[in-house]
Amino acid sequence: MQLLLVGVSHRTAPVELRERLDFSARGVDRALVALAGAPAHHEAAIVSTCNRVELYVACDDAAPAQVAVHHFLSDFHGIPGDQLAPHLYAKVGPDAAQHLFRVAAGLDSLVMGEPQVLGQVKDAFSLASQLGCTGPLLNKLFHSAFTTGKRVRSETTLSAGAVSVSYAAVALAKKIFGNLKGRTVLVLGAGEMGKLTAIHMKSQGIGRLIITSRTAAHAAALAQTIEGTAMPWESLSESLAEADILITATGSTVPIVSRTMIEQIMKAGRQRPLFIIDIAVPRDVEASAGDLEQVFLYNIDDLQAVVQENLSKRGTEASQAETIVVEEVDRFIGWLNSRGAVPTVVALRQRFEGIRQAEMRRLEPKLAGLPPEARARVDEITRLIVEKLLINPTEQLKAISDADTVAAYSDALNRLFGLTAEDASEESTLTGRR
Amino acid sequence: MNTVPLILYVVAGVAYAVQFTRRSLSASRVASTLLILAAFAHTFIIGMETMRAGHVPFASTTSAISTFVWLLALSYLYIELTTAERSMGVFILPLLVALQAIPAARPMLEARSPLLESPWFGVHVSSLLFAYASFALACMLGVTYVLQFKEIKAKHLGFFYARLPSLNVLDEMNLRAVKIGWLFLTVGLITGAIWGSQIQPSGDPRMQSMSLGDPKIFVAVVCWALYSFEIYAQRAIGWRGRRAAWLSAVGFGIVLLNFVPVSYFFTTSHNF
Repeated sequence: MQLLLVGVSHRTAPVELRERLDFSARGVDRALVALAGAPAHHEAAIVSTCNRVELYVACDDAAPAQVAVHHFLSDFHGIPGDQLAPHLYAKVGPDAAQHLFRVAAGLDSLVMGEPQVLGQVKDAFSLASQLGCTGPLLNKLFHSAFTTGKRVRSETTLSAGAVSVSYAAVALAKKIFGNLKGRTVLVLGAGEMGKLTAIHMKSQGIGRLIITSRTAAHAAALAQTIEGTAMPWESLSESLAEADILITATGSTVPIVSRTMIEQIMKAGRQRPLFIIDIAVPRDVEASAGDLEQVFLYNIDDLQAVVQENLSKRGTEASQAETIVVEEVDRFIGWLNSRGAVPTVVALRQRFEGIRQAEMRRLEPKLAGLPPEARARVDEITRLIVEKLLINPTEQLKAISDADTVAAYSDALNRLFGLTAEDASEESTLTGRR
Repeated sequence: MNTVPLILYVVAGVAYAVQFTRRSLSASRVASTLLILAAFAHTFIIGMETMRAGHVPFASTTSAISTFVWLLALSYLYIELTTAERSMGVFILPLLVALQAIPAARPMLEARSPLLESPWFGVHVSSLLFAYASFALACMLGVTYVLQFKEIKAKHLGFFYARLPSLNVLDEMNLRAVKIGWLFLTVGLITGAIWGSQIQPSGDPRMQSMSLGDPKIFVAVVCWALYSFEIYAQRAIGWRGRRAAWLSAVGFGIVLLNFVPVSYFFTTSHNF
């Protein structure tokens, strides 16, 4: 059996095409059943996320199976084949395995190392296996992919560090305050960026979210959508005194929060630090406010620098992650190759059993005079002899992990024991030679 | 005898350094196991010494240092095991090693003069050792606070940022350690004063000079004042975070100075 992958991803197809190929809209389960039901395919799994649509198939022969998958994709989604073909990639055997392992590790993601993709691959597999579309090959393939993903996560720091401005702000806030539970966040301005950061803060279980805007109606509207409290612009300094975290994102052309304002609220025996996230351009907070004791001031450039640094760190971690992927691919291929011996083992056993049964039939007249227990005993003894003869060769064959050796041994056994030709051909496809 | 725990502290220190820089889980398990072993070995030695001398070994400066190291190791292990936070180990271990080197190099002469048999003396020394251990932890928390504070202020999120717990946690643990230490320091000073006044009439020449003029007593009172200020200032004038961290670091510097060089070289009376 061979492993085949056909798919599109953010690297090969524009979002318009990926949207049309998204299986979740039309039902992954229906697609899986149809795909696995095709005569060329033995097993199938579909990984369908917003960044990729990938079909993994176990088949006898990759070339016709690939054509069948292409047809399936264009029929299922009603997209002409010639429109689809330039964006599709197909990989066979070790390349397909390597691709899935890189996907599971987050190495093929739009944002390198993002952790969600491993969960998506897991969901894809569990759905396929629930529907009975997977078998030994895909089971092993996906479990190896999970192992790869977990190893990359625990042995490298590929997924460490925030890679978006709003996550970077949340990570910093956590580094300053520890737990954000019970903290008060003040958002100045009702713009999109401020909203996004506030939503991230909210997901960390902050105590209170205050929103203030020059236009009271904007503040009230935003407060309603993200469940905060709108406060009038005039009481800014009172709101400031309450806040642990200040997010400023107004469109103002002059600084709104001066150093003196911050100095005043920090003076009054305040025991808590103040973290200011100024994501407005031009800036809303006077830069020198950051020099005050227990005030941490980060503007949009500072946060972007943090994000850039994290991204470049991920880049250096990637090579270590790739090494893990290669190791796991080798292990998987070893398993696949050792499975290459299975048809030979089966053929050998069938041959031996065939001989034994033929001999038993031949001896039937001679044994006819014996009592039934004695005949059963003869049957048992001959069966045991065959078993014992086969134990060692079976173990030895299954232990071989190199495709050429498997082929050589299978060939020798075929000749020595006159095993059937079709077994031999099935064997060579299953090894999925590189 | 004190060499065995010393060696174990050294090895554990190396393991803590490896786990801190590499952030490897296996190294951190090894580090904790080694430190637990070291603490066990040290407990055994202190126990042996107690059996031999008939009391806990802290009547001479050298044995008091060994007992202090043992207490500090146990306090640190308590924090590590209750909070699962190992990043402080790399800062504590060098102190344990440096101090443990003293009893390992010098014999513990635990010949207790009859003057020291008063229960006041036992309370006096053991509370002070507890106080010093708390201040040592506060100092490490302060140092790590400042290291991380600098990175966040400078907007350069680097080595320590990636490895240490949050500033708030460090700050709160620092203050808690200082409060506990201050309590024991107060008890230690009061019992010391009571004990001193009780034996004053005994006529021992060393007792005559037992006053604020004695360097060791004077420095201890200075420490008490400094830590009292730290606790007061964080409430009253909002001296939390970096300022409190600095006070803790400086405070323990003075404690350590008082504990080792002053005890050995300067003090005239307080060197039992």
